[in-house]
Amino acid sequence: MTHELSTFVGQPPVAGRIPGNKGIWAGILSEMTEFALLFIVYFIARVHNPQAFHDGSAQLNLFAGTFNTLLMISGSYFVANAVLAIRENRTSISLRWLLLVLFAACGYFITKYFEFRWNAQHGVTGGGDVFFGVYYYLTFTHMVHVGWGIIGLLWVMVRTHAGAYTPAEHSGLEAFASYWHATDLVWLIVFPLLYLLR
Amino acid sequence: MTKKLNIALLWLVLIALTLGGSLLGEATVAGILPAMVIIVTMVVKGGLVIDYFMEMKDANRSLRNLMHAYFYVLSVMALLVYLFGDEIALLLTI
Repeated sequence: MTHELSTFVGQPPVAGRIPGNKGIWAGILSEMTEFALLFIVYFIARVHNPQAFHDGSAQLNLFAGTFNTLLMISGSYFVANAVLAIRENRTSISLRWLLLVLFAACGYFITKYFEFRWNAQHGVTGGGDVFFGVYYYLTFTHMVHVGWGIIGLLWVMVRTHAGAYTPAEHSGLEAFASYWHATDLVWLIVFPLLYLLR
Repeated sequence: MTKKLNIALLWLVLIALTLGGSLLGEATVAGILPAMVIIVTMVVKGGLVIDYFMEMKDANRSLRNLMHAYFYVLSVMALLVYLFGDEIALLLTI
């Protein structure tokens, strides 16, 4: 058994494989399709209301948007390390990386809370202005996906703690990691389109 | 270079690109050049996350191409909307 385990420790993934499992990729591609439709709505609204998008972007809280981007990127980095730790058969280290992902995810929600409160104080509300309508639609939808991710994260933390993942079999952890990266990728598009592009 | 060091450096690069983009967003007004920098940065960041954090570089080729294509298509659409918004609006008007 020890010999069998040692043959997998530190081994790189097989080339040409699908990270995680096919099921999570059905979910990821559905998520990407959903956001593709929302991005098309953004583009159509933008060409018909260029001034609203130019002015609206400048009224958003850039600091909050930037901070959330850093949290999403860091969450991706932490979960990538959690996967590497499992491949080295270091379960407790992997769990610590996953805990950092949880902190980043909670930080994302706390930042969102303060951002939306700041928005309300500065008249950035969803009613009336087309840019703010698109902004709330995109950011709320993304927030929901981060919420799903936290449920998945808690599940893989429990499974990691229980020793369910090994260097030979950790597709569940990889599946969660792939979902988290996909949610990060969506934010890497949402952020420049809403906060940066004037 | 170990994989751990590789992704740590990538993390720093992504942070730097994010902060650079935000400074650009804060400091500049509308313009084709800043818009292009913002859109290209978006594609670069996305590509790095797909290939190295998501480990798609040596993964299933079709899936990797699909993920990269998502960013390429969206960036081209964003650029077209930015440059030719009025013309596209006319085409979309019933």
